Amino acid sequence: MKKKLVLMTVLLFGVGVVLTSCVTVKPTETNFKAPAITLESFEVPQYDGYWYYGSKTKPAKGKAGNHGAPLPMNFLFNIENPNKYPILLESIKFTVAFDKEFDVVTVNSQDTIWIPAGKTTQVRASTLITVRSGLLSLLVTGGYKLKARGWSPWKALERWWTGVTDYTLPVTVHEGAFVFKADGVTKVLPFAATFK
Amino acid sequence: MKKGIVLKLLVPFLAVVFLVGFSTAAVAKTIKVGGLKDTTGATSDVGKDAALGQAEFWQYYVNDHGGINGKKVKYIWFDYGYRIPEALTKYKLLKRMGVLAIMGWGTGDTEALSPTVNKDKLPYVSDSYSAHLTRPVDWVDKDGKKHIGTGYNLFFSSDYSTNARACLTAWYDNKWKKNPAYGKRKARLACCYMFPSPYASAPIAAIKNHAKTLGMDVGPDQDVSLFALDTKSQIMALQKFKPDVIWHGNTTMSVSATLRDCYALGLKANHIVNNWGYDENLPRLAGAAMKAADGLSVMGATPCAFYGQKTDMMDEVVKYAKKYNPGVPQEKRLNRTVQGWCNGLVLWEAMKRADKAGDLTRVGIMKKGFETMRNFHIGLGAGDVTYLPTDHRAATGCWVQEYKNGKFIKVQFVDIKKRWPKQWASEWFGW
Repeated sequence: MKKKLVLMTVLLFGVGVVLTSCVTVKPTETNFKAPAITLESFEVPQYDGYWYYGSKTKPAKGKAGNHGAPLPMNFLFNIENPNKYPILLESIKFTVAFDKEFDVVTVNSQDTIWIPAGKTTQVRASTLITVRSGLLSLLVTGGYKLKARGWSPWKALERWWTGVTDYTLPVTVHEGAFVFKADGVTKVLPFAATFK
Repeated sequence: MKKGIVLKLLVPFLAVVFLVGFSTAAVAKTIKVGGLKDTTGATSDVGKDAALGQAEFWQYYVNDHGGINGKKVKYIWFDYGYRIPEALTKYKLLKRMGVLAIMGWGTGDTEALSPTVNKDKLPYVSDSYSAHLTRPVDWVDKDGKKHIGTGYNLFFSSDYSTNARACLTAWYDNKWKKNPAYGKRKARLACCYMFPSPYASAPIAAIKNHAKTLGMDVGPDQDVSLFALDTKSQIMALQKFKPDVIWHGNTTMSVSATLRDCYALGLKANHIVNNWGYDENLPRLAGAAMKAADGLSVMGATPCAFYGQKTDMMDEVVKYAKKYNPGVPQEKRLNRTVQGWCNGLVLWEAMKRADKAGDLTRVGIMKKGFETMRNFHIGLGAGDVTYLPTDHRAATGCWVQEYKNGKFIKVQFVDIKKRWPKQWASEWFGW
């Protein structure tokens, strides 16, 4: 009876030691090191050329409207967690600019991803614009910049849609905010990079 | 005996595990709020900053300050690019995700969604301040046209029609009465706006009505696209009418282009601007037209403070903007962020009230939340808000400010209800 009690105590103590060893460092504001973020790659997962037709053009099927070629874009980020505890990537937000100064879309991802201690995780953020959305965005936010370059909106759009697949177009990610959490401690990192 | 010891240890252990598990589940209850924003479309010049502000408010400020009486909030927002079909699609998705309320955006999509929102009884707090969204009960206008009530549409601000009336009144009191022509002839108003834009055209009937109330003449409207960079033909068309004041109903970029051309072509008129055309970017884009010593007089409707302008709560707005969007330069942040917070603050208050009443549901948020607010103080330079079951005009007037010597300066708070109580009560309602 006594022997069994001793054995049980030793066993519980052992389990306790193992469990305690799993929780090595508690995250705090001071020991939360900033993860390292890099833009690994940019890709157009499906290319459909450059085209646009207005609402006066009768389509073969469906309804008429102002429609342009889609341009899906994938951005692959490496996120290295230098901490001794796992961290949660809570959200990503960034703006995509073509030719360095023309914002075409702001991407907002709220997918949550755990990054293990000391490991690097790859995170893919996807978005899609069309010639139509690019035109509207360009006209309302880029009008004066286009004028300064002496470009028409159509010249810019054609340059972008044809230049993006052969990587002659500078694609910039800027105004980025990566939000990380660890046990109630939050760290927000700005991010900017150009994929050439 | 062996079995007894194991049971003695195992039972308390499992009990603790289950208790911890269940209490975590209880604490983890989250409330979903949706967002439909324009960060890429025809109103992205103002929409992106508003979207950032609302995300900073809902995702972080609210949860840092207790959520909904202790319940965490998950804010799920999408960029719909100012495309109405996209807004309808995303609305269905948000509804399916079980959001309790939606932070909407533009006039076109908000008005298009209004019948659905009201059928679904889903509180929809928009950045469209169209007066068409303020009358909760079905009504018939003076021409006999029937209008469906917009009982689940809300916003914190004075509506566009009230803004327009407030701007014209402030101009009349502060500029026209000092004009040598005052008392000798009628003042002249002209309107520049994009005719097909639901946002830009929403307050036109009201401002023309108000011009008549003030004894003014109204000139020919000018169709100025939201994308306009060259408006010379419109300005030249106005030169014959010689307006004393021009109402600008568009967003910032095209308003700046119109001001530039007015200045370049020497059109002697003052200018009043609806709130979405009047922000920190306007003088930057208008340049000498607003900044030169002989620059134009430009006043605008400001339902809340400019970004960083000294007022209660502003420290929090700036703190959260800096913390959660460190990559966005401070000089790019606008009063749109503040507007986003104001709309967020009224919905947050409504949700807390509904929850306290034990009815944190879509209907509860409206009936036990919004419609219990009487002169609720938001801060951030906004007017105190009241929502009645029969009247969703939250604010009865707004500050009109003027850009002078490199700064926005308060000119006058125009309370339309106080000044024209009879017309406010029934006549100027819903349009």
